Amino acid sequence: MAEKVIQIEIKRQSGPDAPATWEKFEIPWKPGMNVISVMREIAANPVNANGQDTTPIVYDSNCLEEICGSCAMVINGKARMACSALVDKLEQPIRVQPLTKFPVVRDLSVDRSVLFENLKAVKAWVPVDGTYDLGSGPRVFPQQQEVAYPLSNCISCCCCMEVCPQFNDATGFVGAATIAQVKLFNSHPTGKVLKEDRLRALAGDGGVQECGYAQNCVQVCPKQLPLTEAISDVTRDVTLQVAKDFLRA
Amino acid sequence: MATAARPDASPSSSPAARGPLAGGVEPLRAGKGNSFLLRKLHSLSGIVPIGAFLIEHLLSNFEALKGPLAYANQVKFLNSLPLVRVLEVCLIFLPLAYHALYGVYIALRGKANVIYYPWSGNWMYMMQRWTGYIAFVYIIQHVIRQRFMGVSLPEHPGAAFHKVQMELSNPWMLAVYVIAMIAVCWHFSYGIWLFAAKWGITPGETARRRFGYVCAVLGVVLAVMGLASIYAFVGPNYKNAPDDVMPAQTRLSMPAPHDASLSQGYLARI
Ligand code: SF4
Ligand code: SF4
Ligand code: FES
Repeated sequence: MAEKVIQIEIKRQSGPDAPATWEKFEIPWKPGMNVISVMREIAANPVNANGQDTTPIVYDSNCLEEICGSCAMVINGKARMACSALVDKLEQPIRVQPLTKFPVVRDLSVDRSVLFENLKAVKAWVPVDGTYDLGSGPRVFPQQQEVAYPLSNCISCCCCMEVCPQFNDATGFVGAATIAQVKLFNSHPTGKVLKEDRLRALAGDGGVQECGYAQNCVQVCPKQLPLTEAISDVTRDVTLQVAKDFLRA
Repeated sequence: MATAARPDASPSSSPAARGPLAGGVEPLRAGKGNSFLLRKLHSLSGIVPIGAFLIEHLLSNFEALKGPLAYANQVKFLNSLPLVRVLEVCLIFLPLAYHALYGVYIALRGKANVIYYPWSGNWMYMMQRWTGYIAFVYIIQHVIRQRFMGVSLPEHPGAAFHKVQMELSNPWMLAVYVIAMIAVCWHFSYGIWLFAAKWGITPGETARRRFGYVCAVLGVVLAVMGLASIYAFVGPNYKNAPDDVMPAQTRLSMPAPHDASLSQGYLARI
């Protein structure tokens, strides 16, 4: 019986400024493969479909169970996590390319530090550092936990930003993930202390107002965060904050 | 005091603070700029006053179904509102110009991607931009040709029906009006839905879905009313309407006794 092969085409570039080219591979099929495991097979035997020797593919991945957020790529035209992209469910040839809105480091590895910068800009943390013991935190009721938990599932993969029509060079939009984290930390009984700072930050250029409510973010999010709901709630809070600041000025 | 060099903790957008790679989308400019206010003003102006005016305009047009005289009376009534020219500039022209120009600016900066992500919300996002462009072009010609060219309707309300009828007698113009009517009603009804979603009035998914039905019904009702009014001008009922159904409207007349013999009799008696 002829051996089953997987056809895969990968967009490669050897460095941030190098030109991009597509390279084709044919990899022997094994049960239960995903896009990351295909690339591991390539690394084990780096030969392309023309039989030429090549270099292993550079990509980010870690957990292989869709929880670390590092392996986001554009697979068959859609942004998604490569480790949960099962080969048997993908149309072939599988076309894999790096996220398109983030600078390429090499091959499929991209620089997503903009999300980190955005999370810092809105102070997406609970401030607990101090010169004295702050004691135990206030109780979080189960009802609050149920709202907060889904928001805490964000894995910072940046898929929501990749698919957002408003996230681009012209707008410098902050993206849905950061807005959702603002809702999460503003609802935290200790994190609340920075609520006004976060809301004011999000009223800056590139803030919540740039969202066009295309709802792609919520469709694509691998962790099913209620992103559109968060955008709605946070935009209302930002608007009220801006109005309050205006009247108290 | 000797301090170890610390990495810059301020959220700076300089390439150095952002890691080794330049390029890519700029991070949030926390608390800087005016785009929040400008964008919210754009969103609000679409509801009031522009949306409110659109409803008024469609209701007024609907009077055309009752014929040229009823239509003329409606035009006359609107032009008799106190400070009508001030209202026209402050509640129609200025907000409309702002909404249109800022709207084009918003639309030009978005990068629609329905080809890759053909999801309903994404389609609506794109449609909102295209219906906006259609409305932009249509309204410019509509205002120039109907408000500022030809017979001046504020002075000659009686000529309104004829003026519109002449315009719509051109089949190309008729097509433009029909397309624009649908586009504008679409833009407005989805705009209300977007307003509720983006101002945090309908954060819940179910609430958004329900309100979506409400907006869809509103959009269809407005569009049907608008198309019915267009039909009033081109249909068989009021063919060849007279140039002016109230030719005497330019002069104000005070109620005065005009029967000479009557007033003379009155004078004779005192
Ligand atoms: S709703 Fe649309 S425009 Fe807003 S963040 Fe999500 S994808 Fe972007
Ligand atoms: S919100 Fe969802 S899509 Fe966006 S970064 Fe977090 S996990 Fe990824
Ligand atoms: S490797 Fe962690 S999410 Fe894919």
